[in-house]
Amino acid sequence: MPETSVIPPGAVTPRDAFRRGVRELLPATPGIFAWGLVTGVAMVKSGLGVFEATALSLIAYAGSAQLAALPLMAAFAPIWLVTLTAVVVNLRFVVYSVITRPHFAHLPARQRAVLGFLVGDIMFARFSALIENEPEYPHRVAYYFGGASANWVIWQISSIVGIFAATTIPTSWGLELAGTLTLVALLVPLCRQRPVLAGALVAAATSIAAHDLPLRLGLLLAIVLGVVTAVAIDRRGVA
Amino acid sequence: MTGAYVWIAILGITLATVLTRAGVHLAGRRLQVPPNIEALLRFAPACALAAIIAPDLVYFDGALDLSAANPRLLGGLAAVIFFAATRSMIATVSGGMAVFWLVRAWLGL
Repeated sequence: MPETSVIPPGAVTPRDAFRRGVRELLPATPGIFAWGLVTGVAMVKSGLGVFEATALSLIAYAGSAQLAALPLMAAFAPIWLVTLTAVVVNLRFVVYSVITRPHFAHLPARQRAVLGFLVGDIMFARFSALIENEPEYPHRVAYYFGGASANWVIWQISSIVGIFAATTIPTSWGLELAGTLTLVALLVPLCRQRPVLAGALVAAATSIAAHDLPLRLGLLLAIVLGVVTAVAIDRRGVA
Repeated sequence: MTGAYVWIAILGITLATVLTRAGVHLAGRRLQVPPNIEALLRFAPACALAAIIAPDLVYFDGALDLSAANPRLLGGLAAVIFFAATRSMIATVSGGMAVFWLVRAWLGL
């Protein structure tokens, strides 16, 4: 990474930013671990071989898309349908990358691809909180890369533990709820502003009502309606 | 479930992930996002989180359950309270899970 000027003493270095990213991701470890574990178990329980399940986890790194694709694969559904399902479940990442893109735009394509690929719901929420609260923070890419790498490592370890211990981990514990509660801890502080709270409530209600739409399209619909609501309330507040 | 089908499916899922996560970053200047769209997307993180969380809490055993006998919903509400009181993610998750497991045990589920 080229440094154009000497770093003054006490200034934030890329290494500091990377460490801060890791540090702020670590409290999410129980949730990520529980989720990875449950995903690993689910892959094996739906009939995927240990080797194939490990490969899927390592190559695709796509928690919810993996889970959505599993029943289709078990039924030997056409490949295009499996792929399309994974695309639709992952569509929120397109929204996320439109937001992160200006912050990565100065980097070479390969680095942009790696940073984009490493995105997850938790680190994205952390990163958007950083750019909202500390718009002048330097080395935000290093911050993001630190947290996203930590997330990747925790996820892979837990997923592989789940794959190899699939027969000994009971699915009845409801462990996956820990992942959801981690997201609760990320959502609540965002809702202090009224437009955000209104948008989140509409998104939640839409997502519940549209739960039975195919390909988990309800998730995308919920985000769209939530954002529209938040914008409408925000504009009225200004006027 | 083994053989060529599984490996092609794994490739398909990987393609889908790369496309959705890295596609926008790789499109470069060919893809122009209007500034007003970018401005409105600042609400997207909260809406996405809410949309992921809500069904996980209100669907219990595959059915919509908004009653006080839904341990997942009570665990989620408890998590909000734990977060408001402590601002700690660990306390939020462990407190919410504790309530969830207690309610389940209480109900004999």
